[in-house]
Amino acid sequence: MMDNNELLKLESTALNIRRNILRLIRAGQAGHVGGALSSVEILTALYFNILNVDPKNPKWPLRDRFVLSAGHKCLVLYSALAEKGFFDKSVLDTYGDLDSIIPGHPNMHKLPGVETNTGALGHGLSIAGGMALGLRMDKSPAKVFVLMGDGELAEGSNWEAASAASMHKLDNLLVFVDRNKLQISGPTVDVMSYEPLDERWRSFGWSVRTIDGHNIAAIINNVKDMPFEKGKPSLIIADTIKSKGLSFAEEKVNYHYWKATPEELELAENDLDLIEKELKEKIERSAGK
Amino acid sequence: MNEMKDPRKTFGEALLEAAEKNPDIVALSADSSSGSGMGAFFSRFPERHFEFGIMEQGVIGFASGLATTGKIPVFAAIAPFVTARPFEMFRNDLGYMDQNVKVVGRCAGLTYNQLGSTHHSIDDVAIIRTIPGVTVINPGDPVTIKKAVHAMIEHIGPCYLKIGSPKMPVLYPEDIEFKLGKGIVMQEGSDVTLIGTGTVLSKAVDAAKLLKKAGISVRLIDIHTIKPLDRDLILTAARETGKIVTVEEHFVAGGLGSAVAELCSQEHPVKMKMIGLPDQYASNGPYEELLGKYGLQSDQICETIIKFLNT
Repeated sequence: MMDNNELLKLESTALNIRRNILRLIRAGQAGHVGGALSSVEILTALYFNILNVDPKNPKWPLRDRFVLSAGHKCLVLYSALAEKGFFDKSVLDTYGDLDSIIPGHPNMHKLPGVETNTGALGHGLSIAGGMALGLRMDKSPAKVFVLMGDGELAEGSNWEAASAASMHKLDNLLVFVDRNKLQISGPTVDVMSYEPLDERWRSFGWSVRTIDGHNIAAIINNVKDMPFEKGKPSLIIADTIKSKGLSFAEEKVNYHYWKATPEELELAENDLDLIEKELKEKIERSAGK
Repeated sequence: MNEMKDPRKTFGEALLEAAEKNPDIVALSADSSSGSGMGAFFSRFPERHFEFGIMEQGVIGFASGLATTGKIPVFAAIAPFVTARPFEMFRNDLGYMDQNVKVVGRCAGLTYNQLGSTHHSIDDVAIIRTIPGVTVINPGDPVTIKKAVHAMIEHIGPCYLKIGSPKMPVLYPEDIEFKLGKGIVMQEGSDVTLIGTGTVLSKAVDAAKLLKKAGISVRLIDIHTIKPLDRDLILTAARETGKIVTVEEHFVAGGLGSAVAELCSQEHPVKMKMIGLPDQYASNGPYEELLGKYGLQSDQICETIIKFLNT
């Protein structure tokens, strides 16, 4: 079980990451905020508890790899990397600028800590599979983690990769599907048939678990069990809320890509202040125990 | 009569040679290994050979990921299925990510003659050379295929190597100097420059012989690397001969002829004739007859050039 103080610290980090996302939006005036906010807890757990990475040595060969297959969720990646110290937070203020090192989809050649150039959907899992295969050949202890969107799963190339990862028994590979249940045209299940997601992945030879994707302790405790079954790649279906943390935007499809007005930015600040207040009270209660 | 050799077998032998020396080389197959000449590699290095079944898009991604760990993946399969089909993976995962992956398209051009347009690859050079940083190699004989394999392994960066399928004549001695990006002058001449590449280089060689008999002084150049293009060699030929003819088993649109025209039209405009496939789906039939249908036999090339010189 996770230590409560450690958990509260991680929740504070998650809040900082949400604040960083807002900072990016303020700089660029728009961005794919919905899927970034729904995966904040996953990235928090990964970068601040799970991943063996060194911000001072981002190309360290023994590092764990994180592949953001759903590249449009880059705001959460930039926010987590900045929070972890891969680069100065002032870089976040350049979002949308000419030649910014943080484009609208991540670029590994521009920004330290980014492992892949994603953006086109359905690429990340194959690349991650190749990483896992190469690391296993080298008998490396490093593991490979992937974040996919649920809408992204309509891309057929994902299922090529899913078959191959299972065929080659890549149990050093773990995938999160951020099931926030919305894509740009509406609810994912109305756009294309995805369900039952767990059975689909199981039938491809994966070991699958479903958790609350905003529960940091659950994320960490489950990842610690990796591989869920020896010789199988692991998959976590993370049930999440799109635009989590912004009360006016949660579970609303039109915040998949948010063109922020000044009024909305103020509302968003207030929402995050409220989360901060609640978190402080939680921390005080915990200290008082 | 030149000795004839199987290009796929030649590729496979060269790959095995390279792999004996370089433990980072891994071979990837999309149910395509034995047909690509990699059977011997599989027998010798089963732990460095990965089968994926018929999923070319995914294999390109896996190759990219393997390359991030320092491996040198060589992915060989039928040419259109490693270029046109997974184009976005080639562009993003190999090109944009700048990964050290070697993609080999075999049975390229019209060499899958009987199988029709789905299996012809006469657009691969056009599409792959739009990807920044990718080296495009199209060797024209077994000796240079072998040298190209070693050169692409030594080169750091994504490469596309295309080879045909029927046995092809040996055009070069074993000690011919081969450098990526450097064309080979096969014959000096001053009336016209004839540039050939890949599977029909031998047709250009024979056409040059016929032209010589007709009293025409032809400078014959083998451009085995279409990207990066040997600018100096081509511009010198443009300046010194004033006329250029290109020959390729590829669409005229976007291939060697286009690449040469892009260069010359801007740096030293000369009259050009591009011999290749027209803007239509190629037909099917016996390979040599198919080449004849599109004017790619040596006597046809010779005739086209004589007409070109007289206009």
